[in-house]
Amino acid sequence: MLSGNVIEVTDLTKYYRNLLAVDRISFEVRNQELFGFLGPNGAGKTTTINMLTGISKPSSGKVRIAGYDIIKEPVRVKELIGVAPDVSGVYDELTALDNIDFMAKLHGVSAEKRKARTKELLEVFDLHTRRNDRVGNFSRGMKKRLMIAATLVYEPKIVFLDEPTAGLDVQSSRQIRNLIKEMNQNGTTFFLTTHYIEEADQLCQRVAIINKGRIVTIDTPENLKKSAQTENVMEVSFNTPEDLSKQLSKLKHVSNVVRCADKYRLYVGDFSGMLPLIVDFAKRNYLKVTSIATLKPTLEDAFVSLTCERPDTLAGEKEKLDPS
Amino acid sequence: MRNRIIEDAKKIFYIAEKDAKIYFFKAPNLTFGLVLPVVLYLAFAIGRTVDAAFVVPGIVAIAAFFGAGAIQSVSLPLERRTGTFNSLVTAPLSLFEIMLGKALAGFFFGIVLSLFYMIIMIPFSFVSNLIFFALGIVVSSFMFSTFGLFLSAPFKDIPQAMPPATVVRIAMVFLGAVFTPITTLPAVLQTIAYALPLTYTVSTLRQAWGGNINVQMFLIDTLIQVAFAIFFLAAATKILQRTME
Repeated sequence: MLSGNVIEVTDLTKYYRNLLAVDRISFEVRNQELFGFLGPNGAGKTTTINMLTGISKPSSGKVRIAGYDIIKEPVRVKELIGVAPDVSGVYDELTALDNIDFMAKLHGVSAEKRKARTKELLEVFDLHTRRNDRVGNFSRGMKKRLMIAATLVYEPKIVFLDEPTAGLDVQSSRQIRNLIKEMNQNGTTFFLTTHYIEEADQLCQRVAIINKGRIVTIDTPENLKKSAQTENVMEVSFNTPEDLSKQLSKLKHVSNVVRCADKYRLYVGDFSGMLPLIVDFAKRNYLKVTSIATLKPTLEDAFVSLTCERPDTLAGEKEKLDPS
Repeated sequence: MRNRIIEDAKKIFYIAEKDAKIYFFKAPNLTFGLVLPVVLYLAFAIGRTVDAAFVVPGIVAIAAFFGAGAIQSVSLPLERRTGTFNSLVTAPLSLFEIMLGKALAGFFFGIVLSLFYMIIMIPFSFVSNLIFFALGIVVSSFMFSTFGLFLSAPFKDIPQAMPPATVVRIAMVFLGAVFTPITTLPAVLQTIAYALPLTYTVSTLRQAWGGNINVQMFLIDTLIQVAFAIFFLAAATKILQRTME
């Protein structure tokens, strides 16, 4: 039975020749925690997960998983962990059933348990009807679901997921997120990397923000959001496609206006008194207010304020750095 | 402890079984493995008079050599490129055990191809010591499979791995005294031939097939091949470990 900190990382560093990919990062993950590693492309997320799981060797620093040193006792560690990489780890030439069965065999799952668990996972991941099809014909989303199923078949205590929903459709992403939540509630520890801010916000109990190989901060999503609250934001929309940013920016208390699709984000010093001003603005311009709301800071705001990175750097594909 | 060894042995076998299914026992690879020894033999034999007892061990050796090792130049780099190798690395096995599993797949394939040639050649020539010949096939198939891993270990993709492996193999066929008695080679080439693992395979198979068996010599040749196999497997593991860092 695991307890306390199940992942302990101290001054972990990775160089690829002269390129510093991960720079002296330290953190702990508690037993049964759902821990997120959030960062833009090339931040060092995959490199970190590879070092934590024994796929690559750190240049310096220590990794202890459930008390075992990953360098000194790798097999002990691998008995406890499950790893679903970002790049497909499933065999195109095998069927879905054979892929899961192979992973179960490699982790010493008994034949009886293997059969039952494989059937259950194929159903959970909606792959049951395609179980005897070669994986080479599967979509990216199906392969990803299969990879995660093949990781969960041996019921690891600590699961590492590298970008579990990257490139997936909404339905597949939701399925995977729900399963992660459910398994976490049943006691599995998760370490997941993601460049989707929403995903980290919805799933993770704590989030580490990594940028350019360094951990910028580690906290709960709510605390991170609070730390980003420097201004009040109000979101308003009118019944016209015309750009009103200029006129709105002249309103009292408004320091900045950002147009987002058909809405305007007003950065205001004080909420009180803003509502009559907006109603008056609409009347004067013969407009109707179609929606109005005050906005709380998002994890995206926290990310931007902590890393000074534009948020669109998060919404790309996989890290370009080759971790192998 | 005993249970652990049995469990690990099973996992090694599962890797071998998976590799055999995915990479080795496929129609194109079987065709390649069956055709190549004949092509190489014909390239040598057309226009010459050759004794079947001399040629058969050479053909069987080539079947083991290419059958056991050539596909390794594809399987390991391909697994590294596609990322499936990481699934093996994160399983509770050492890297050496993973490589042993991969070596066994080539070993089985090499045995099947060599036995095929051994059987179809029996009507044309007399095998004087079947047990020794079979032992020669078993040892050499394992050695050639580890040799294939050794050649492919530094590379992360097939286009990088194939050219050097092919050049080395073809050179070994001509320098390893497969179709020419080693004593007929110039002194320099004889020295090179003695450094090549294929030379010892041909020597053991030729002794067992032709009937001039010298048990002591046979055992020395076999032990040299075992030593080569251990070296290739250990070196491949070490090289792979380095390139994974």
